[in-house]
Amino acid sequence: MTRDLNDLAAVAVAAARDGEAVEAYAEESRHTDVEARKGEVEGLTSAESRGVGVRLIVGGRLGFAYAADPSDDEIVATVERARENATLGTEDENNVLADASEYEPIEGLFFDEQAAMPADEKVSLALQVERVAVSSDPNVGKVEQCGFGDAIGRVAIASTTGVSAEFRRTGCWCVAVTLAERDGDTQTGFSFQVAHRAADLDPDAVAREAAERAARMLGAVKPQTQRVPVLLDPFAASSFLGVLAGALSAESVQKGRSLFADLVGERVGADVFTLVDDGRLLEGPAAAPFDDEGVPAGRTDLIGGGVLNGFLHNTYTARRGSTTSTGNASRAGYRSTPGVGATNFYVQPGSVSFESLLAKADGGVLIQDVSGVHSGANPISGEFSVGATGLRIAGGALGEPVREMTIASTLPDMLKSVAAVGSDLRFFSSVGTPSILIGEMTLAGV
Amino acid sequence: MLDRELAEEVLRAARSRGGAFAELFVEERFGVSVRFDDGKVEELTTGTDRGAGVRVGHGTSFGYAYSNRLDRDSLLQAAAAAAASVTENGAGDVVAFRSLEPPVVHEATRDAASTGSADKVAWVREADDAARSHSPEVRQVTAVYGDSLQRVLIAASDGRWVEETRPRVRLVVSVVAGRDGNIQTGFHGPAGLAGLEFLETHPPSETALVAAERAVTMLDARPAPAGEMTAVLAPGMGGVLFHEAVGHPLEADIVDKEASVYRGRVGERLASEIVNGVDDATVPNAWGSFSFDDEGAPAQRTPLFDDGVLRGWLYDRLRAEKDGAPSSGNGRRQSYAHPPIPRMTNTYILDGTSSTEELISSTERGVYVTALAGGQTNPASGDFVFGCSEAYLIENGEKRHPVRGANLIGRAIEVMSHVDGLANDFDIWPGICGKDGQSVPVGSGSPTLRIARITIGGTG
Repeated sequence: MTRDLNDLAAVAVAAARDGEAVEAYAEESRHTDVEARKGEVEGLTSAESRGVGVRLIVGGRLGFAYAADPSDDEIVATVERARENATLGTEDENNVLADASEYEPIEGLFFDEQAAMPADEKVSLALQVERVAVSSDPNVGKVEQCGFGDAIGRVAIASTTGVSAEFRRTGCWCVAVTLAERDGDTQTGFSFQVAHRAADLDPDAVAREAAERAARMLGAVKPQTQRVPVLLDPFAASSFLGVLAGALSAESVQKGRSLFADLVGERVGADVFTLVDDGRLLEGPAAAPFDDEGVPAGRTDLIGGGVLNGFLHNTYTARRGSTTSTGNASRAGYRSTPGVGATNFYVQPGSVSFESLLAKADGGVLIQDVSGVHSGANPISGEFSVGATGLRIAGGALGEPVREMTIASTLPDMLKSVAAVGSDLRFFSSVGTPSILIGEMTLAGV
Repeated sequence: MLDRELAEEVLRAARSRGGAFAELFVEERFGVSVRFDDGKVEELTTGTDRGAGVRVGHGTSFGYAYSNRLDRDSLLQAAAAAAASVTENGAGDVVAFRSLEPPVVHEATRDAASTGSADKVAWVREADDAARSHSPEVRQVTAVYGDSLQRVLIAASDGRWVEETRPRVRLVVSVVAGRDGNIQTGFHGPAGLAGLEFLETHPPSETALVAAERAVTMLDARPAPAGEMTAVLAPGMGGVLFHEAVGHPLEADIVDKEASVYRGRVGERLASEIVNGVDDATVPNAWGSFSFDDEGAPAQRTPLFDDGVLRGWLYDRLRAEKDGAPSSGNGRRQSYAHPPIPRMTNTYILDGTSSTEELISSTERGVYVTALAGGQTNPASGDFVFGCSEAYLIENGEKRHPVRGANLIGRAIEVMSHVDGLANDFDIWPGICGKDGQSVPVGSGSPTLRIARITIGGTG
């Protein structure tokens, strides 16, 4: 007999002793992943999992333990392990659980049709992506990866402080990585789309875009080193957002690991640059009514018109910083404690079309892919040097492809030199951005 | 972990529609981790995980289903789901099980579970103390200790029955150092397929000192130069480059997808003739080692390059059967929640005959890279980019000041062909390798290695 998540969480909370604060985060998910290649299903993975993570705080000391698919007895044993771990924790007055608060459910997050989508329909979507990907450009005959996947998840959180929250969500995605070949040269192209139900995906568009992005890079050359206007398309721009999200977490700030630490109220970007985190934004795949400790989610304008307004907080960092949580407690599933993390984290789109951005960037380069941001960017100093590929821009149109070059700058310099922000906002997993025109940057090639 | 009768019943159900083979992977994992950050024990976690995955292979296609429930109904349900993608072709056979003997056993003498968490907390405190007392410029220290005990059972329709227990231990220290507005980071994280005896040979305080020294040294760094020049990579670092830029395109799934720059080129000289490279899961107690891979194939040492000549691929079962080759024992998975795919184990370039001094003193202008931050590579074109977290300028044969923001940029075949010196000071570095959403422990090794010409992306 399968126990309901709420019951599992309740068992943990009931095991609390006097003076202990106990929170249980219970989660269950089902997912399917279909990979297609050469007109056939290459891989079909289907999965089910559930588990519970328990935080226990006593005398300001925190302990944590988790268990996969626990029985009631195992939950009690998990609470006991968390209790043992708490005895070795460091006392910290900011170790507290979130208070109970009302949250507003979100319509349109869960679709029965997605939860009940038959396997053969998932298979035909994956096959469709591949079929279109290999037939839309004469130089693109095969794919490295093509597929469709979905996830149906449910979370329940309960605590001795009165938190009692639950929600469910469906999500699905199409992905295509194509290979374009000509005269011994091979280039790859990527495209991706996410939605809360399959009906809102456009698999043909994903396939065609991946093919186009590979084909247009054929024959790319290594350019001369030069200082030119740089236009980051949403794919390339999104690579930098992860580093920004880390630097804007109050956890990084409080531990002296953020380049934005002392800059609240100051100008950190051009006035056209606004950066938002919005946990309730339905278009974003991370949309949820509350965060991973049960605090209601909401919108935080981190950088508004180029001015730094504040940081992302969970309950711990908020208390330590004498402020309120922004609803950004974030876990990597039931196996981890809540840290601070972005939800739907995006650059507010402007009103400039992609065509006008191209016209403004005349003589420059459109960057469509950057590599090595995680290793090549220092989240503390903001310095980065990353590999890049893209296309020259001449006369308002895309020209010769270029590769094997690097862009080096610092995040603060880059944000301050944003010259224009496009209207083409697009989400990749939970980060989103439109195209962004940077004034001038050095492209290092030969 | 599971009795043989039930395993056989599940495999029969998985082969109910046919297919080339069926396989059951059962896993239990117990782990402890301690995170010490900002001067305090931030997190002390104990976790238990378990689950099983059933796979049915047909051609290079597969169906896979998993659950973290191990009861009969859940396993049979997973078997049915895994079988669903197979074209009906009559039920397949399940051969009587026979237990396989491990080709290599990685001895662990001190079981991590026998030691209380208090000792583990003491080790991260020791690391924090050592790093902070190294220099007043050390501003922040994060020390993370983790041990895990993974028990696996692999049973397959061809009769293989494999059981293995894999203990792993790791202690990672990250240090932030600051001087005025300048902030730099340093990292060190030794790890092994071993018990707690590993920490006797890799004391937490020494790990912390390496990380602290790295961060403080980099405070003196000046912007790295840009352009084409020579690079000398410290022991282990050449292995990291070899893993990323060369190893990934040698994985048989990448080759099968025609997305490898090496495809169709076995037998050709595609690296300098001084380069001998292998993938080797038998290195005693190394982080990327095991006795059996996650498909039950025995651990082995696989030649990749002999005198610069490409020898072959890293195979899992699906791709090996397609090519009519034996598996090279490279079918690995992050956990029961993932189907196995070709992965590296410990991948390395063997010792040469030079010394580090010779390689530096004969370099007119270049960079000496002592720590890489990781990188990215495109297996189809061989293009790669690596960030250097610790590097120095070489001028007129001498190591000079540290440089920051240096990137190594190049293409696999070209760069490996430009290797013109190997020392005899081999070392192996542990790391976590990510591919297709799965992370597995790997080792990357090399002696000091010189690349005559490579593009350095710097800001100076």
